Amino acid sequence: MKRKLFIATSLSTALAGCGAIGTKLTENDRIHSILDAGEKLDRALIGTHGLAREYSVSDISRVFPINSFDTPIDVTYVRLMRNAFASYRLVVDGMVERPLSLSLAQLNAMPQTAQITRHDCVEGWSAIARWSGVALRDVIALARPEKGAGFIIFHTFDRDANGVPYYESLDLSQALHPQTLLALRQNGAPIPPDRGAPVRLKIPTQLGYKSAKWVRHIQVLPSLAHLFGGKGGYWEDQGYQWYAGI
Amino acid sequence: MVYRHSAVTRLTHWLFFIAFLALVSSGLQIFNAAPYLDASDKSDPARRVLQIYAPSDNVGKTIIFGHAFTTTGWLGWTDDGMGGKTGRAFPGWITIPSYQDLADGRTWHLFFAWVMVFCGVAYLIWGIARHDLRELVLRPSDVPKLLPMQLYYLRLRKEPPLHGKYNPLQKLAYTLVLFVFAPLIVLSGLALAPSFDAAFPWVTVIFGGRQFARLWHFVLMVALCGFFLMHVLLVVTTGLRNHIVSMITGRYKLGAHDGVGI
Repeated sequence: MKRKLFIATSLSTALAGCGAIGTKLTENDRIHSILDAGEKLDRALIGTHGLAREYSVSDISRVFPINSFDTPIDVTYVRLMRNAFASYRLVVDGMVERPLSLSLAQLNAMPQTAQITRHDCVEGWSAIARWSGVALRDVIALARPEKGAGFIIFHTFDRDANGVPYYESLDLSQALHPQTLLALRQNGAPIPPDRGAPVRLKIPTQLGYKSAKWVRHIQVLPSLAHLFGGKGGYWEDQGYQWYAGI
Repeated sequence: MVYRHSAVTRLTHWLFFIAFLALVSSGLQIFNAAPYLDASDKSDPARRVLQIYAPSDNVGKTIIFGHAFTTTGWLGWTDDGMGGKTGRAFPGWITIPSYQDLADGRTWHLFFAWVMVFCGVAYLIWGIARHDLRELVLRPSDVPKLLPMQLYYLRLRKEPPLHGKYNPLQKLAYTLVLFVFAPLIVLSGLALAPSFDAAFPWVTVIFGGRQFARLWHFVLMVALCGFFLMHVLLVVTTGLRNHIVSMITGRYKLGAHDGVGI
Protein backbone atom coordinates (compact mmCIF):
# COMPACT_ATOMS: atom_id res chain seq x y z
CA MET A 1 0.00 0.00 0.00
CA LYS A 2 2.87 2.33 0.88
CA ARG A 3 4.37 1.67 -2.52
CA LYS A 4 1.10 2.55 -4.24
CA LEU A 5 0.87 5.73 -2.24
CA PHE A 6 4.43 6.57 -3.22
CA ILE A 7 3.64 5.92 -6.89
CA ALA A 8 0.47 8.02 -6.76
CA THR A 9 2.31 10.87 -5.06
CA SER A 10 5.18 10.86 -7.54
CA LEU A 11 2.74 10.68 -10.46
CA SER A 12 0.83 13.74 -9.29
CA THR A 13 4.07 15.59 -8.65
CA ALA A 14 5.15 14.73 -12.18
CA LEU A 15 1.86 16.10 -13.55
CA ALA A 16 2.28 19.30 -11.59
CA GLY A 17 5.80 19.61 -13.00
CA CYS A 18 4.38 19.35 -16.52
CA GLY A 19 3.87 23.12 -16.79
CA ALA A 20 7.41 23.78 -15.60
CA ILE A 21 8.86 21.32 -18.13
CA GLY A 22 6.70 22.86 -20.84
CA THR A 23 7.92 26.34 -19.92
CA LYS A 24 11.57 25.26 -20.16
CA LEU A 25 10.92 23.58 -23.53
CA THR A 26 9.11 26.66 -24.88
CA GLU A 27 12.13 28.80 -24.14
CA ASN A 28 14.36 26.49 -26.21
CA ASP A 29 14.51 27.87 -29.78
CA ARG A 30 14.94 24.49 -31.46
CA ILE A 31 11.96 22.97 -29.64
CA HIS A 32 9.95 26.07 -30.44
CA SER A 33 10.68 25.79 -34.15
CA ILE A 34 9.46 22.16 -34.07
CA LEU A 35 6.25 23.24 -32.34
CA ASP A 36 5.75 25.85 -35.10
CA ALA A 37 5.00 22.95 -37.49
CA GLY A 38 1.43 23.07 -36.12
CA GLU A 39 0.85 26.43 -37.80
CA LYS A 40 2.20 25.17 -41.15
CA LEU A 41 -0.23 22.24 -41.02
CA ASP A 42 -3.13 24.53 -40.12
CA ARG A 43 -2.31 26.82 -43.03
CA ALA A 44 -1.96 23.92 -45.48
CA LEU A 45 -5.01 21.94 -44.34
CA ILE A 46 -7.50 24.65 -43.32
CA GLY A 47 -6.31 27.54 -45.47
CA THR A 48 -8.77 30.27 -46.43
CA HIS A 49 -11.81 28.77 -48.17
CA GLY A 50 -15.49 29.58 -48.17
CA LEU A 51 -17.27 32.62 -46.84
CA ALA A 52 -17.56 33.70 -43.22
CA ARG A 53 -21.14 33.48 -41.98
CA GLU A 54 -23.15 36.70 -42.41
CA TYR A 55 -25.66 37.68 -39.72
CA SER A 56 -28.78 39.84 -39.50
CA VAL A 57 -29.06 43.29 -37.93
CA SER A 58 -30.66 41.84 -34.77
CA ASP A 59 -27.49 39.79 -34.13
CA ILE A 60 -25.26 42.87 -33.80
CA SER A 61 -23.50 43.01 -30.40
CA ARG A 62 -24.63 45.88 -28.19
CA VAL A 63 -21.13 46.18 -26.77
CA PHE A 64 -18.17 45.57 -29.04
CA PRO A 65 -15.04 45.22 -26.90
CA ILE A 66 -11.98 47.32 -27.69
CA ASN A 67 -8.84 45.27 -27.43
CA SER A 68 -5.93 47.29 -28.72
CA PHE A 69 -3.74 50.18 -27.70
CA ASP A 70 -5.29 53.60 -27.23
CA THR A 71 -6.04 55.90 -30.13
CA PRO A 72 -2.67 56.70 -31.73
CA ILE A 73 -0.82 59.77 -30.43
CA ASP A 74 1.25 59.93 -33.63
CA VAL A 75 1.57 63.64 -34.56
CA THR A 76 0.40 63.09 -38.14
CA TYR A 77 -2.58 61.09 -36.93
CA VAL A 78 -3.64 63.69 -34.36
CA ARG A 79 -3.39 66.44 -37.02
CA LEU A 80 -5.50 64.37 -39.45
CA MET A 81 -8.08 63.63 -36.78
CA ARG A 82 -8.50 67.34 -35.90
CA ASN A 83 -9.18 67.98 -39.56
CA ALA A 84 -11.80 65.15 -39.73
CA PHE A 85 -9.33 63.21 -41.90
CA ALA A 86 -9.86 65.62 -44.82
CA SER A 87 -6.18 65.37 -45.79
CA TYR A 88 -5.91 61.61 -45.09
CA ARG A 89 -4.39 59.60 -47.94
CA LEU A 90 -4.23 55.82 -48.20
CA VAL A 91 -0.97 55.09 -49.99
CA VAL A 92 -0.70 51.87 -52.04
CA ASP A 93 2.75 51.08 -53.41
CA GLY A 94 5.50 48.47 -53.64
CA MET A 95 5.27 45.83 -56.37
CA VAL A 96 2.39 47.48 -58.22
CA GLU A 97 2.12 48.81 -61.74
CA ARG A 98 0.10 51.80 -60.58
CA PRO A 99 0.88 53.23 -57.11
CA LEU A 100 -2.11 54.95 -55.51
CA SER A 101 -2.80 57.72 -53.06
CA LEU A 102 -6.49 57.66 -52.20
CA SER A 103 -8.41 60.28 -50.22
CA LEU A 104 -11.43 59.34 -48.11
CA ALA A 105 -13.64 60.94 -50.76
CA GLN A 106 -12.09 58.73 -53.43
CA LEU A 107 -12.52 55.62 -51.25
CA ASN A 108 -16.15 56.57 -50.64
CA ALA A 109 -16.68 57.02 -54.38
CA MET A 110 -15.56 53.43 -55.07
CA PRO A 111 -18.14 50.57 -55.05
CA GLN A 112 -19.15 50.00 -51.42
CA THR A 113 -19.77 46.62 -49.83
CA ALA A 114 -21.20 45.71 -46.42
CA GLN A 115 -21.09 42.65 -44.16
CA ILE A 116 -22.50 41.74 -40.76
CA THR A 117 -19.88 39.31 -39.53
CA ARG A 118 -18.53 37.89 -36.32
CA HIS A 119 -15.19 39.13 -35.04
CA ASP A 120 -13.33 36.27 -33.34
CA CYS A 121 -10.63 37.38 -30.94
CA VAL A 122 -7.56 35.21 -30.36
CA GLU A 123 -8.39 35.48 -26.63
CA GLY A 124 -11.59 33.55 -27.21
CA TRP A 125 -14.44 36.10 -27.25
CA SER A 126 -16.61 37.02 -30.26
CA ALA A 127 -18.63 40.09 -31.20
CA ILE A 128 -20.83 40.88 -34.20
CA ALA A 129 -20.93 44.20 -36.08
CA ARG A 130 -21.84 45.60 -39.47
CA TRP A 131 -18.81 46.72 -41.43
CA SER A 132 -18.94 48.63 -44.71
CA GLY A 133 -16.41 50.12 -47.06
CA VAL A 134 -14.33 49.06 -50.05
CA ALA A 135 -13.40 45.46 -50.80
CA LEU A 136 -9.63 45.20 -50.55
CA ARG A 137 -9.51 43.31 -53.84
CA ASP A 138 -10.98 46.34 -55.64
CA VAL A 139 -8.14 48.56 -54.39
CA ILE A 140 -5.58 45.90 -55.26
CA ALA A 141 -7.05 45.49 -58.75
CA LEU A 142 -6.76 49.26 -59.21
CA ALA A 143 -3.07 49.18 -58.26
CA ARG A 144 -2.36 46.05 -60.37
CA PRO A 145 0.22 43.91 -58.49
CA GLU A 146 3.28 42.89 -60.48
CA LYS A 147 4.40 39.29 -61.01
CA GLY A 148 6.11 37.93 -57.92
CA ALA A 149 3.96 39.89 -55.48
CA GLY A 150 3.32 37.61 -52.51
CA PHE A 151 2.11 39.64 -49.55
CA ILE A 152 0.05 42.70 -48.81
CA ILE A 153 1.43 44.69 -45.86
CA PHE A 154 -0.67 47.10 -43.80
CA HIS A 155 1.23 49.88 -42.07
CA THR A 156 -0.72 51.82 -39.44
CA PHE A 157 -0.51 55.03 -37.38
CA ASP A 158 -0.29 52.86 -34.27
CA ARG A 159 2.73 52.24 -32.05
CA ASP A 160 3.11 50.42 -28.74
CA ALA A 161 4.48 52.02 -25.55
CA ASN A 162 8.03 51.32 -26.74
CA GLY A 163 7.47 52.98 -30.10
CA VAL A 164 7.30 49.70 -32.05
CA PRO A 165 4.96 50.18 -35.05
CA TYR A 166 1.85 48.03 -35.46
CA TYR A 167 1.66 46.38 -38.86
CA GLU A 168 -0.01 43.33 -40.35
CA SER A 169 0.13 41.27 -43.53
CA LEU A 170 -2.01 38.96 -45.65
CA ASP A 171 -1.08 36.70 -48.52
CA LEU A 172 -2.70 37.31 -51.90
CA SER A 173 -5.43 34.68 -51.48
CA GLN A 174 -6.52 36.23 -48.17
CA ALA A 175 -6.28 39.77 -49.56
CA LEU A 176 -8.37 38.89 -52.63
CA HIS A 177 -11.04 37.07 -50.55
CA PRO A 178 -14.38 38.78 -51.29
CA GLN A 179 -15.07 39.52 -47.60
CA THR A 180 -11.70 41.14 -46.90
CA LEU A 181 -12.70 44.74 -46.39
CA LEU A 182 -11.13 48.15 -46.01
CA ALA A 183 -13.81 49.28 -43.58
CA LEU A 184 -14.86 52.94 -43.47
CA ARG A 185 -17.97 52.48 -41.30
CA GLN A 186 -18.96 50.35 -38.32
CA ASN A 187 -22.71 49.86 -37.73
CA GLY A 188 -23.43 52.63 -40.24
CA ALA A 189 -21.32 55.39 -38.67
CA PRO A 190 -17.77 56.40 -39.64
CA ILE A 191 -15.33 54.26 -37.69
CA PRO A 192 -14.57 56.09 -34.39
CA PRO A 193 -10.94 57.02 -33.61
CA ASP A 194 -10.57 54.34 -30.92
CA ARG A 195 -11.76 51.66 -33.37
CA GLY A 196 -9.39 52.48 -36.19
CA ALA A 197 -10.58 55.67 -37.96
CA PRO A 198 -10.67 56.47 -40.74
CA VAL A 199 -9.78 53.16 -42.47
CA ARG A 200 -9.27 49.78 -40.88
CA LEU A 201 -8.92 46.28 -42.21
CA LYS A 202 -11.69 43.77 -41.50
CA ILE A 203 -11.04 40.14 -42.41
CA PRO A 204 -13.72 37.89 -40.90
CA THR A 205 -12.01 34.62 -41.93
CA GLN A 206 -9.08 35.36 -39.59
CA LEU A 207 -8.70 36.04 -35.88
CA GLY A 208 -9.09 39.67 -34.82
CA TYR A 209 -5.43 40.63 -34.60
CA LYS A 210 -5.17 40.45 -38.40
CA SER A 211 -7.76 43.24 -38.77
CA ALA A 212 -5.34 46.17 -38.42
CA LYS A 213 -6.77 49.50 -37.29
CA TRP A 214 -5.67 52.99 -38.45
CA VAL A 215 -4.30 51.79 -41.80
CA ARG A 216 -2.19 54.43 -43.56
CA HIS A 217 -0.13 52.56 -46.14
CA ILE A 218 -0.62 49.35 -48.09
CA GLN A 219 2.57 47.87 -49.45
CA VAL A 220 2.85 44.95 -51.90
CA LEU A 221 6.00 42.87 -51.31
CA PRO A 222 7.45 39.52 -52.44
CA SER A 223 8.16 38.36 -48.86
CA LEU A 224 7.88 39.35 -45.20
CA ALA A 225 11.49 38.70 -44.31
CA HIS A 226 12.84 42.25 -44.31
CA LEU A 227 10.05 43.96 -42.39
CA PHE A 228 10.53 44.72 -38.69
CA GLY A 229 10.74 41.34 -36.89
CA GLY A 230 10.34 39.44 -40.15
CA LYS A 231 7.25 37.49 -39.08
CA GLY A 232 4.70 39.61 -40.93
CA GLY A 233 2.99 41.49 -38.13
CA TYR A 234 3.29 43.19 -34.76
CA TRP A 235 1.76 40.25 -32.88
CA GLU A 236 3.47 37.71 -35.12
CA ASP A 237 6.81 39.26 -34.14
CA GLN A 238 5.79 38.58 -30.49
CA GLY A 239 5.17 34.89 -31.16
CA TYR A 240 1.58 34.78 -32.44
CA GLN A 241 0.93 32.67 -35.55
CA TRP A 242 1.02 34.42 -38.92
CA TYR A 243 -1.79 32.10 -40.06
CA ALA A 244 -4.65 33.34 -37.90
CA GLY A 245 -7.39 31.17 -39.45
CA ILE A 246 -7.44 29.06 -36.27
CA MET B 1 2.16 -14.31 -20.49
CA VAL B 2 0.34 -13.11 -23.58
CA TYR B 3 1.23 -10.61 -26.28
CA ARG B 4 -1.43 -8.02 -25.53
CA HIS B 5 -0.54 -4.68 -27.16
CA SER B 6 0.78 -4.20 -30.72
CA ALA B 7 3.66 -1.81 -31.38
CA VAL B 8 1.26 0.74 -32.90
CA THR B 9 -0.97 0.59 -29.81
CA ARG B 10 2.00 1.05 -27.50
CA LEU B 11 3.54 3.91 -29.48
CA THR B 12 0.27 5.80 -29.92
CA HIS B 13 -0.63 5.18 -26.26
CA TRP B 14 2.44 7.07 -25.01
CA LEU B 15 2.10 9.78 -27.66
CA PHE B 16 -1.55 10.19 -26.62
CA PHE B 17 -0.38 10.52 -23.02
CA ILE B 18 2.16 13.27 -23.81
CA ALA B 19 -0.22 15.06 -26.19
CA PHE B 20 -3.07 14.90 -23.67
CA LEU B 21 -1.01 16.53 -20.90
CA ALA B 22 0.29 19.18 -23.32
CA LEU B 23 -3.19 19.91 -24.68
CA VAL B 24 -4.82 20.26 -21.28
CA SER B 25 -2.05 22.50 -19.89
CA SER B 26 -1.85 24.71 -22.98
CA GLY B 27 -5.64 24.72 -23.25
CA LEU B 28 -5.97 26.10 -19.72
CA GLN B 29 -3.39 28.74 -20.69
CA ILE B 30 -5.63 29.71 -23.65
CA PHE B 31 -8.73 29.68 -21.42
CA ASN B 32 -7.00 32.12 -19.05
CA ALA B 33 -7.01 34.78 -21.80
CA ALA B 34 -10.85 34.92 -21.64
CA PRO B 35 -11.74 33.08 -18.41
CA TYR B 36 -15.45 32.63 -19.02
CA LEU B 37 -17.72 30.38 -21.11
CA ASP B 38 -21.00 31.42 -22.76
CA ALA B 39 -23.74 29.17 -24.15
CA SER B 40 -24.08 31.36 -27.27
CA ASP B 41 -22.54 32.19 -30.66
CA LYS B 42 -21.16 35.70 -29.98
CA SER B 43 -20.03 36.50 -26.43
CA ASP B 44 -23.07 37.15 -24.24
CA PRO B 45 -22.77 37.77 -20.48
CA ALA B 46 -26.50 36.93 -20.12
CA ARG B 47 -25.72 33.36 -21.17
CA ARG B 48 -22.56 32.96 -19.10
CA VAL B 49 -22.19 29.45 -17.67
CA LEU B 50 -18.76 29.73 -16.05
CA GLN B 51 -16.63 32.64 -14.98
CA ILE B 52 -13.38 32.57 -13.02
CA TYR B 53 -12.02 35.92 -11.87
CA ALA B 54 -10.48 38.01 -9.11
CA PRO B 55 -12.99 40.62 -7.86
CA SER B 56 -10.15 42.20 -5.85
CA ASP B 57 -6.57 41.42 -4.84
CA ASN B 58 -6.18 38.17 -2.85
CA VAL B 59 -9.68 36.95 -3.74
CA GLY B 60 -10.47 34.33 -6.38
CA LYS B 61 -14.07 33.64 -7.40
CA THR B 62 -15.65 30.97 -9.57
CA ILE B 63 -19.23 31.37 -10.76
CA ILE B 64 -20.93 28.26 -12.16
CA PHE B 65 -24.53 28.61 -13.40
CA GLY B 66 -24.89 31.73 -11.25
CA HIS B 67 -23.58 30.09 -8.06
CA ALA B 68 -20.49 31.86 -6.71
CA PHE B 69 -17.70 30.02 -4.90
CA THR B 70 -14.59 31.44 -3.28
CA THR B 71 -11.66 29.62 -4.85
CA THR B 72 -8.72 31.80 -3.77
CA GLY B 73 -5.41 30.08 -4.44
CA TRP B 74 -6.94 27.47 -6.76
CA LEU B 75 -8.93 29.47 -9.30
CA GLY B 76 -9.20 33.20 -10.00
CA TRP B 77 -6.43 34.43 -7.69
CA THR B 78 -3.53 32.06 -8.29
CA ASP B 79 0.21 31.76 -8.79
CA ASP B 80 1.46 33.74 -11.77
CA GLY B 81 4.15 31.22 -12.73
CA MET B 82 6.88 33.65 -11.73
CA GLY B 83 6.83 33.21 -7.96
CA GLY B 84 4.04 35.71 -7.22
CA LYS B 85 0.25 35.73 -7.05
CA THR B 86 -2.10 37.42 -9.47
CA GLY B 87 -5.63 37.55 -10.84
CA ARG B 88 -5.49 34.55 -13.17
CA ALA B 89 -8.10 31.81 -13.70
CA PHE B 90 -5.96 28.64 -13.69
CA PRO B 91 -2.72 28.60 -11.68
CA GLY B 92 0.76 28.62 -13.21
CA TRP B 93 1.63 25.09 -12.06
CA ILE B 94 -0.95 23.62 -14.42
CA THR B 95 -0.48 25.83 -17.53
CA ILE B 96 2.10 25.78 -20.35
CA PRO B 97 3.98 28.09 -20.16
CA SER B 98 3.51 28.59 -16.42
CA TYR B 99 3.32 32.39 -16.78
CA GLN B 100 0.63 34.16 -18.85
CA ASP B 101 1.58 33.69 -22.54
CA LEU B 102 -1.30 33.15 -24.94
CA ALA B 103 0.94 33.02 -28.03
CA ASP B 104 3.05 30.11 -26.77
CA GLY B 105 0.01 28.38 -25.27
CA ARG B 106 -1.49 28.39 -28.76
CA THR B 107 1.77 27.17 -30.33
CA TRP B 108 1.73 24.13 -28.00
CA HIS B 109 -1.97 23.52 -28.41
CA LEU B 110 -1.96 23.66 -32.22
CA PHE B 111 1.08 21.36 -32.43
CA PHE B 112 -0.18 18.67 -30.05
CA ALA B 113 -3.67 18.84 -31.51
CA TRP B 114 -2.16 17.49 -34.72
CA VAL B 115 -0.13 14.87 -32.80
CA MET B 116 -3.41 13.73 -31.22
CA VAL B 117 -5.28 13.66 -34.54
CA PHE B 118 -2.53 11.77 -36.41
CA CYS B 119 -2.16 9.25 -33.57
CA GLY B 120 -5.92 8.79 -33.45
CA VAL B 121 -6.16 8.17 -37.19
CA ALA B 122 -3.17 5.78 -37.16
CA TYR B 123 -4.59 3.91 -34.17
CA LEU B 124 -8.03 3.54 -35.75
CA ILE B 125 -6.74 2.44 -39.16
CA TRP B 126 -4.42 -0.09 -37.51
CA GLY B 127 -7.14 -1.27 -35.14
CA ILE B 128 -9.61 -1.81 -37.97
CA ALA B 129 -7.05 -3.49 -40.25
CA ARG B 130 -5.90 -5.85 -37.51
CA HIS B 131 -9.39 -6.40 -36.06
CA ASP B 132 -8.01 -5.22 -32.67
CA LEU B 133 -10.91 -2.83 -32.23
CA ARG B 134 -13.41 -5.70 -32.21
CA GLU B 135 -12.35 -6.60 -28.68
CA LEU B 136 -12.53 -2.99 -27.56
CA VAL B 137 -15.87 -1.79 -28.89
CA LEU B 138 -18.97 -2.13 -26.74
CA ARG B 139 -21.57 -4.50 -28.25
CA PRO B 140 -25.26 -4.93 -27.41
CA SER B 141 -24.42 -8.26 -25.74
CA ASP B 142 -22.13 -6.39 -23.29
CA VAL B 143 -24.88 -4.09 -22.03
CA PRO B 144 -26.49 -6.55 -19.54
CA LYS B 145 -23.02 -7.17 -18.09
CA LEU B 146 -22.37 -3.49 -17.28
CA LEU B 147 -24.19 -3.50 -13.93
CA PRO B 148 -22.69 -6.78 -12.64
CA MET B 149 -19.23 -5.44 -13.57
CA GLN B 150 -19.88 -2.19 -11.69
CA LEU B 151 -21.09 -4.21 -8.66
CA TYR B 152 -17.88 -6.23 -8.83
CA TYR B 153 -15.80 -3.02 -8.83
CA LEU B 154 -17.80 -1.79 -5.83
CA ARG B 155 -17.07 -5.12 -4.11
CA LEU B 156 -20.78 -5.93 -3.96
CA ARG B 157 -20.24 -9.01 -6.12
CA LYS B 158 -17.55 -11.64 -5.80
CA GLU B 159 -16.95 -12.54 -9.45
CA PRO B 160 -16.87 -10.30 -12.52
CA PRO B 161 -19.22 -11.29 -15.34
CA LEU B 162 -17.69 -13.44 -18.09
CA HIS B 163 -15.78 -11.25 -20.53
CA GLY B 164 -12.96 -11.22 -23.08
CA LYS B 165 -9.78 -9.16 -23.24
CA TYR B 166 -11.60 -6.10 -21.92
CA ASN B 167 -14.46 -6.06 -19.45
CA PRO B 168 -17.80 -4.41 -20.34
CA LEU B 169 -17.07 -1.21 -18.39
CA GLN B 170 -13.68 -0.87 -20.06
CA LYS B 171 -15.38 -1.31 -23.41
CA LEU B 172 -17.93 1.34 -22.54
CA ALA B 173 -15.20 3.80 -21.46
CA TYR B 174 -12.97 3.16 -24.49
CA THR B 175 -15.89 3.30 -26.92
CA LEU B 176 -17.07 6.63 -25.48
CA VAL B 177 -13.57 8.12 -25.50
CA LEU B 178 -12.58 6.89 -28.98
CA PHE B 179 -15.83 7.36 -30.87
CA VAL B 180 -17.66 10.14 -29.02
CA PHE B 181 -15.44 12.36 -26.85
CA ALA B 182 -12.32 12.40 -29.07
CA PRO B 183 -14.09 13.31 -32.36
CA LEU B 184 -16.25 15.88 -30.57
CA ILE B 185 -13.33 17.59 -28.83
CA VAL B 186 -11.48 17.87 -32.17
CA LEU B 187 -14.57 19.21 -33.96
CA SER B 188 -15.47 21.68 -31.19
CA GLY B 189 -11.87 22.95 -31.27
CA LEU B 190 -11.99 23.39 -35.04
CA ALA B 191 -15.36 25.15 -34.69
CA LEU B 192 -13.51 27.96 -32.86
CA ALA B 193 -11.35 28.66 -35.91
CA PRO B 194 -12.76 31.44 -38.13
CA SER B 195 -11.33 29.91 -41.34
CA PHE B 196 -12.65 26.45 -40.47
CA ASP B 197 -16.02 28.03 -39.68
CA ALA B 198 -16.02 29.70 -43.12
CA ALA B 199 -15.18 26.41 -44.86
CA PHE B 200 -17.52 24.14 -42.80
CA PRO B 201 -20.13 26.41 -41.15
CA TRP B 202 -22.39 23.47 -40.13
CA VAL B 203 -19.80 22.30 -37.59
CA THR B 204 -20.05 25.52 -35.58
CA VAL B 205 -23.84 25.42 -35.95
CA ILE B 206 -24.19 21.90 -34.47
CA PHE B 207 -22.35 23.06 -31.35
CA GLY B 208 -24.68 26.07 -30.99
CA GLY B 209 -22.23 28.75 -32.16
CA ARG B 210 -18.61 29.70 -31.52
CA GLN B 211 -18.80 30.50 -27.80
CA PHE B 212 -20.96 27.41 -27.23
CA ALA B 213 -18.33 25.33 -29.05
CA ARG B 214 -15.76 26.75 -26.61
CA LEU B 215 -18.00 25.56 -23.76
CA TRP B 216 -18.32 22.07 -25.34
CA HIS B 217 -14.56 21.95 -25.86
CA PHE B 218 -14.04 22.70 -22.14
CA VAL B 219 -16.69 20.23 -20.91
CA LEU B 220 -15.23 17.47 -23.11
CA MET B 221 -11.78 18.25 -21.70
CA VAL B 222 -13.18 17.79 -18.17
CA ALA B 223 -14.79 14.49 -19.25
CA LEU B 224 -11.51 13.25 -20.75
CA CYS B 225 -9.65 14.27 -17.57
CA GLY B 226 -12.18 12.16 -15.66
CA PHE B 227 -11.43 9.20 -17.94
CA PHE B 228 -7.68 9.81 -17.52
CA LEU B 229 -7.92 9.85 -13.70
CA MET B 230 -10.03 6.65 -13.61
CA HIS B 231 -7.64 5.00 -16.07
CA VAL B 232 -4.59 5.85 -13.92
CA LEU B 233 -6.42 4.81 -10.73
CA LEU B 234 -7.35 1.42 -12.19
CA VAL B 235 -3.87 0.88 -13.63
CA VAL B 236 -2.32 1.62 -10.24
CA THR B 237 -4.73 -0.64 -8.32
CA THR B 238 -4.80 -3.65 -10.68
CA GLY B 239 -1.11 -4.43 -11.11
CA LEU B 240 0.76 -1.27 -12.01
CA ARG B 241 4.00 -3.01 -12.96
CA ASN B 242 2.28 -5.57 -15.18
CA HIS B 243 0.33 -2.84 -17.00
CA ILE B 244 3.31 -0.52 -17.49
CA VAL B 245 5.54 -3.38 -18.69
CA SER B 246 2.83 -4.58 -21.10
CA MET B 247 2.42 -1.08 -22.53
CA ILE B 248 6.18 -0.93 -23.17
CA THR B 249 7.01 -4.50 -24.29
CA GLY B 250 3.53 -5.68 -25.26
CA ARG B 251 3.74 -8.69 -22.93
CA TYR B 252 1.08 -9.03 -20.24
CA LYS B 253 0.86 -11.51 -17.41
CA LEU B 254 -2.71 -12.85 -17.25
CA GLY B 255 -4.47 -12.60 -13.89
CA ALA B 256 -7.23 -14.79 -12.43
CA HIS B 257 -10.06 -12.93 -14.18
CA ASP B 258 -8.30 -11.91 -17.37
CA GLY B 259 -9.39 -13.39 -20.63
CA VAL B 260 -12.14 -15.57 -19.24
CA GLY B 261 -14.78 -16.51 -21.76
CA ILE B 262 -12.85 -15.50 -24.89
